[in-house]
Amino acid sequence: MKPAELGVPRAFDVHSHVLDNGLKVLLVENPSVPTVSLNASVLTGARHDPEAKAGLALMASRLLDEGTENRTSLEIAEAIESVGGAIESDGSFERIIVSAGVLNKDTDLGLELLAELLMRPIFPQEFVDKEKERTLAEIASAKDRPQVVAGWAFNELVYQDHPLHRPAHGYPDTVERITRADLLDFHRRYFVPNNVILSIVGDFQVPVLLPKIERAFAGWPNQAIAFPTYPKPVRQTNKREKYINMPAQQVNMYLGHLGVTRTNPDYYALQVLDTILGGGAGFTARIPQRLRDDLGLAYTTFASITMTAGLDPGRFISFIGTSPENMKLAIEGLVNEIRRIIEEPVTIEELRDAKDYLTGSFVFAFESSAQISRFLVHAEIYGLGFDYVQKYPDYIHAITVKDVSRAAKLYLDSENYTLVVVGPVAGNGNVSTQESAK
Amino acid sequence: MSSLVIPSAFATEDVRRTVLDNGLVVLTREVHTSPIVTAMIWYRVGSRNEELGHTGKSHFLEHMLFKGTDRFKKGQIDLITHRNGGGNNAFTSHDFTAYYFNFASDRWDVALEIEADRMVNCAFELDEFEAEKKVVIEELKTGLDSPWGLLLQDVEAAAFKIHPYRNPIVGWLQDVERATVEQQQAYYRKYYQPNNAILVIVGDFDTGQVLNSVAHAFRPIPAGPAPPPMLLREPEQLGERRLVVRWRSKVPRLAIAYHAPEIGHAASYALQVLAVILTEGKASRLYQRMVEQEQSVTFVSAEYGEAKDPTLFHIRAEARGTHSIEGIESSIYDELERIVSNNVTPHELERAKHQIEAHFILSRERTLDQALLFGQIETLYGLDYIDSYLQRIGAVTSEDIEHACTRYLHENNRTVGRLLNDGSGQESEEEGETG
Repeated sequence: MKPAELGVPRAFDVHSHVLDNGLKVLLVENPSVPTVSLNASVLTGARHDPEAKAGLALMASRLLDEGTENRTSLEIAEAIESVGGAIESDGSFERIIVSAGVLNKDTDLGLELLAELLMRPIFPQEFVDKEKERTLAEIASAKDRPQVVAGWAFNELVYQDHPLHRPAHGYPDTVERITRADLLDFHRRYFVPNNVILSIVGDFQVPVLLPKIERAFAGWPNQAIAFPTYPKPVRQTNKREKYINMPAQQVNMYLGHLGVTRTNPDYYALQVLDTILGGGAGFTARIPQRLRDDLGLAYTTFASITMTAGLDPGRFISFIGTSPENMKLAIEGLVNEIRRIIEEPVTIEELRDAKDYLTGSFVFAFESSAQISRFLVHAEIYGLGFDYVQKYPDYIHAITVKDVSRAAKLYLDSENYTLVVVGPVAGNGNVSTQESAK
Repeated sequence: MSSLVIPSAFATEDVRRTVLDNGLVVLTREVHTSPIVTAMIWYRVGSRNEELGHTGKSHFLEHMLFKGTDRFKKGQIDLITHRNGGGNNAFTSHDFTAYYFNFASDRWDVALEIEADRMVNCAFELDEFEAEKKVVIEELKTGLDSPWGLLLQDVEAAAFKIHPYRNPIVGWLQDVERATVEQQQAYYRKYYQPNNAILVIVGDFDTGQVLNSVAHAFRPIPAGPAPPPMLLREPEQLGERRLVVRWRSKVPRLAIAYHAPEIGHAASYALQVLAVILTEGKASRLYQRMVEQEQSVTFVSAEYGEAKDPTLFHIRAEARGTHSIEGIESSIYDELERIVSNNVTPHELERAKHQIEAHFILSRERTLDQALLFGQIETLYGLDYIDSYLQRIGAVTSEDIEHACTRYLHENNRTVGRLLNDGSGQESEEEGETG
C-alpha cells in the first residue's frame, strides 16, 4: 500500500487473476494491521429463489458452515474459534457471502475453511430441520419490530410480482417447504467457480498467497449456469396505502416507490439528490432538518434512492418514526419535501455542499481491509473499474443543478407513491384514540 | 500456558498523554495508513451522575451541544461537518458522554475549535430546548417499542435499588418532560469543563503541530470547580429478584442480571473470559447446548461490560417455538453449576483467550475504533488498563473462573426478568389503492 495522499483514499494495487476454472481472484496487500479479511461472493441470492421456495438462498448460505465432507459443524467452529478467528456466511438478494477475518498467521486456515464451505457443504438433514425452525422463530421475533414490519409491507406493494417483493428469508409456508434436496440442488447449480469472486485484503504477500489459492480451489470444475429470468419491475402509476395496526408508542412509516439500478447513468446525480434531500452529515439534509431539527417530529428520519440500488432496481424510500398524533404532519412533511425537490431547482449552495460532502467523505469507505474487500466485489459486479477510487470525485463534480432537477423529475414521484404505516392506527388510517391520548 | 502472540501494548504504542494546565487530558496517536483524523472529546459525566427526578440530563445535554453556541449558530456544526465531507456523532452512557468528528486529514482542525467552543459556550435557547425535547422524547419512545429495551430497563431498575445505574440513560419519560432549560444549563456548567474532559486525536497528523493547535484552542478555558463525586454504593443483594413485563410480543424473552465488579477488579477478567466460553461463537457452551441440542432458543448471549462502578453480568435468551422460558432458565443455571463443579476445560480456556485477543486486534483497524478504546478506558480507569489487559486475560485460570462464578453468578445475586405476551393478538391491516 502506498502512503496516504490528502483528501483521497490511499491508492492500492489490485492484483486481479482468473483461475483456470473461472474463479475470479482479487488481492490487495495491506500490511497496516496484522490481519487478513477473506471474502467469497457467490453471484446468486434471494432474487433467484423460486416463489414457492422463497428463503432458499438465505437458508443455503446459513447452512454452509454446518457440515462439510471433511468436518462437522462443531469441528468447523472449533477450528476457526480456537485461533480467535471468525467465519460467517450470509445471503442477500444478490449475493451469498462467505467471509473470514483472521490474524495474519492464520491466513492458510481461513483460506482452507473458506474453500471447504464453498465447495463441499453437505447440508446435514438434522441442521436443515434446525435451521428451518430457527428461521421461523426469527420471523416471529422480527414481527415485534414495527420498522421491520413496515419494510416488509412496503416491498410487497412496491415490487408486486417481482422477486424483491419478498423478504430474503421467505415466508413461514415457503420456509416449511424447503428440503435438503432443494439445498443440494441450489448448491450444485450456483456454487461453481465461474460464479464466484474471491477478494482477500490484508497482511500477506501476493506471490506467496496466490499459489495457495490455486491449490485450494484446483479440484472445482466450472459449469454453465442458467439463471432464472423474470420481468423487470414496473414503477407504480397510482397511490398505494397500507395501515397496519400494532400497539406501540410510535408510528413507523415508509413512503416511496420503485428506484433505480446501481448501473443507472444518473446514479451520481441521484447521490447528490439523496445528500440534499435525506442524507449528508448530521441533520443538514432537507428532510431531517425540517422534520427533526425544526419540527421535532422524530429521532429517526431520512430518505434515499441510491442506498438500495443494485442489479435490480432498488427503492426510493423516505422513513420516519413519530408519535401517532404527528402522523398526518409527518406524511405531509415528507411529501412536501419530495415535491419541492421535483418542482424547484436546488440552490447552487446546496449543490456545492453536497458535492463537497460526497467527495470529502469518500475516503471513509476505504479504511479497513474488510471495507476494501467489499469495494473490490462491488467494482467487479457493477463494472465500476478499480480506478473508481480516483474517478469518483470527477463523477460527482460533473453534476449540475439541472442534472439534479432532471433526475428528480425522472425518478421521484410525490403523488404516485406507496405509503405504509405501522403503529396504533386503524385500518383506515385513523389514529387509535387510546394510544395517542396524552 | 496461554500462547498470546501480540502484547496489548500494541494498542497503546505511541499514544502520547499530555495534560494541559487547566486539567484537560490529551491523548494523541499518529496513524498514517489513511488520510483521516478522528477527534473525540469525552466528559466524565453520564447517567450515573444524575439525581432522582432529573434522569436523562446527560443525554439531553448531548443533544443540546449540537444546537449551537454564539460562534457556531444552530445547524452550523452539522453544516461545517457536511461541507468538509466529515462525519460527526455523539453518545451517552452510564459513565460518560462522548462526541466525535471524522475528517480527512487536510481539514480536521475545525473539530478542535468546535469542541473548545461548545465546552463552555452552549447557547441553550428556550425554543431550541423545547424543540429538542420533542426529539429526545421520540428517541425514548423508540426504545419503548423495542422488547429488549423494555425488558432490560425493568431488570436494571430492579437489580439496582440505589445506584443510578438503575435509571435508563435516556431518562424516565416524566423526568424528560419536566426538564427545564435552567436546570439543563446548570448541569452543563457543573460537568463541562477542561478538568473533567479527555480529548483523543488519532490519525494522520504531526503530533507537535497538533499539540500546539490543542493548546491554542483549549488553554484559554479555565479549570472549573471539581464536579461533585458520585458516592452512592449499591448494597449487597440478599436474594433473587424476579419480574415480568407483559407486552404484545408472542416471543418470550429472558434476561438474567448478576451483580458484578467494576473495571479492573481481579474477578472482572475471569468474568470476561467466562462470557466468551458461555456464548461467543458456535463452539461455545450455551450455544451448543441451547441452540444446537435443546433447540430452545434463537440466540443466547452472555455479556460483561466494563464500567466505572460495580455493574451487571447479563445473560439473555429468546425462546423458540413452544419451549418454555422456565426450561431455558434452568438450562442456563445448570451450565453455570457445571462450571463450578467440573471447571472449564483447558481447551475452552485457551480458545476463549484467543478469541478475546483476536477480537482486540481485529476490531481496532479504523482511527475511530482506536479513539473509542483510548477515550473509554482513560475515562473509566486509565490507559494502563490496556497495557496489561491481554496479560491479565492470559493469566486467568479455570480456578479463577470457578471462583468468580461462585462469588457472583449465584441465585441470591441475580435479577430475573421475563417478557411475556399480554394477551393481545396479531396486528390487523388494511390497504387501499387509488389513482
